[in-house]
Amino acid sequence: MNSILRYILRNGLRDRLYLGLFITLAVAFAISIFLGSTMFVEQRQTTAAYIAGSSRAILAVGMILFVCLSVSRAFESKEVEFIISKSISREQFILGYLAGFFLAAFLIFIPLVAAILLVTKANFSGLIIWSSTLLCELLIVICFSLLASMILKNSFSAIMASFAFYMISRLMGMFTMAIDLPEDFAAAKNHLLATILKILSAIFPRLDLFTQSSWLVYEINDLDNLKIIFLQSLIYIPLMIFMAFHDFKRKQF
Amino acid sequence: MTPRFFFHLYSHKIFFWLFVATFGCQIFFWKETEKVRADFDIIPPAPNKYVVSAASLGDKEFLFRVLVTRLQNSGDIFAGFVALKDYDYSRIYDWMKSLDTLNPRSRLVPSLASYYYSQTQNPADATKIIDYLEEHSVANLDANWWWLFQALYIAKRLGDFDRALDLAQKMAQNNAKDAPLWTKQMPAFIAEEKGDGCVAFSVIQKLIAESDSGKRQISAEEMDFMRYFISNRLKHLKNNKFDPRRCSKTL
Repeated sequence: MNSILRYILRNGLRDRLYLGLFITLAVAFAISIFLGSTMFVEQRQTTAAYIAGSSRAILAVGMILFVCLSVSRAFESKEVEFIISKSISREQFILGYLAGFFLAAFLIFIPLVAAILLVTKANFSGLIIWSSTLLCELLIVICFSLLASMILKNSFSAIMASFAFYMISRLMGMFTMAIDLPEDFAAAKNHLLATILKILSAIFPRLDLFTQSSWLVYEINDLDNLKIIFLQSLIYIPLMIFMAFHDFKRKQF
Repeated sequence: MTPRFFFHLYSHKIFFWLFVATFGCQIFFWKETEKVRADFDIIPPAPNKYVVSAASLGDKEFLFRVLVTRLQNSGDIFAGFVALKDYDYSRIYDWMKSLDTLNPRSRLVPSLASYYYSQTQNPADATKIIDYLEEHSVANLDANWWWLFQALYIAKRLGDFDRALDLAQKMAQNNAKDAPLWTKQMPAFIAEEKGDGCVAFSVIQKLIAESDSGKRQISAEEMDFMRYFISNRLKHLKNNKFDPRRCSKTL
């Protein structure tokens, strides 16, 4: 498993994941600082919100691309067949890949948090909570991207499915709000829209509650959402790992 | 000569003339659309709550900052700046209300309203800013009494003393620990300026009574100021034959 882990980390180096994300994050930081400095008041808070929002999106997109392209390439180049021909179980193979992707994300995540602390001088407790929920969000995104790549094999389909998953999960707050539509509208539509949205909200995670930029700006008064976030991660990450186990077990090579 | 053979012989000429024809079409199209300009609204209509919720992707603070940047820079176009009198203030009001749903704690929107958009050359538009500041402040008076003071100041600048007095009376109801005593005295100042000696007299009398009963701690400096206010204005009130006994007891 250690060799898989090292292999994934080297993959990141080979694909210029670290360099690419660092450059993109640096550009996002520069633009955020510029936009923040143009504000009438609350320049620091605006910079913090811009940095938090943009770096979250950059990390999520970067990890989706990295996971989907790495796994698809491993299937195409028969690396997967080569690895599972060794004395390694299929579960270990998936866990090794996941651990590698988690570690790759963590390697980018640590300097990012340090840079945010340095640039925005955010309150420490807010930064801790923001960064830990960002980590949870990234873990969910990585798990789904791996699952999508395992099931779909084609890299383009896996990337599009992962983007759709991320967008829908991030839109879940609006969906749950739209479930409570005015009664006349809901009746006119025969509750179809509300039913579809309810089904979606049962399947997709509530990523809209994760990684709120406001935590870097203001003190956190409501800890209820944090409970939901950590419980959601605790349920959803194993759910996708077990799905990946199940799918990979059934695969014939 | 079969069509296939004809095509083989003249295809290069056919494609050349097709190229010339499509290029001519493009030039014609350009000539016809040269004057078409993209619609430019200084302030577009404010986004509704579903659009805001969808666009935020769960991160309301990020979207709030993006939209405030848009509001702050509206009218800043390549050719220069648009005068504030040309802005649609009902839209600005809608934007501010919409932004308040995203983040009611930020000082950004009330600052923009008080210090920037209130400078409009059209007094009727400034009343919309007063409306916004009043609604924003009343929602959490203890935290936002300063913005109510700004609304009052704008109303006073417009010469609308009735509105200013109404706002001052609302501001006086705050219980904020950081609010200075003048937030309580403000109705007296405005009423006095308006020429309503009764209200001014009543407000100051009430504050002195609260100090005497121990309900409110008023520093010696503040008491000195109130005495100064009374003695300074007493002459003016006397000239107007002001008699406190004629004031309504309900004040």
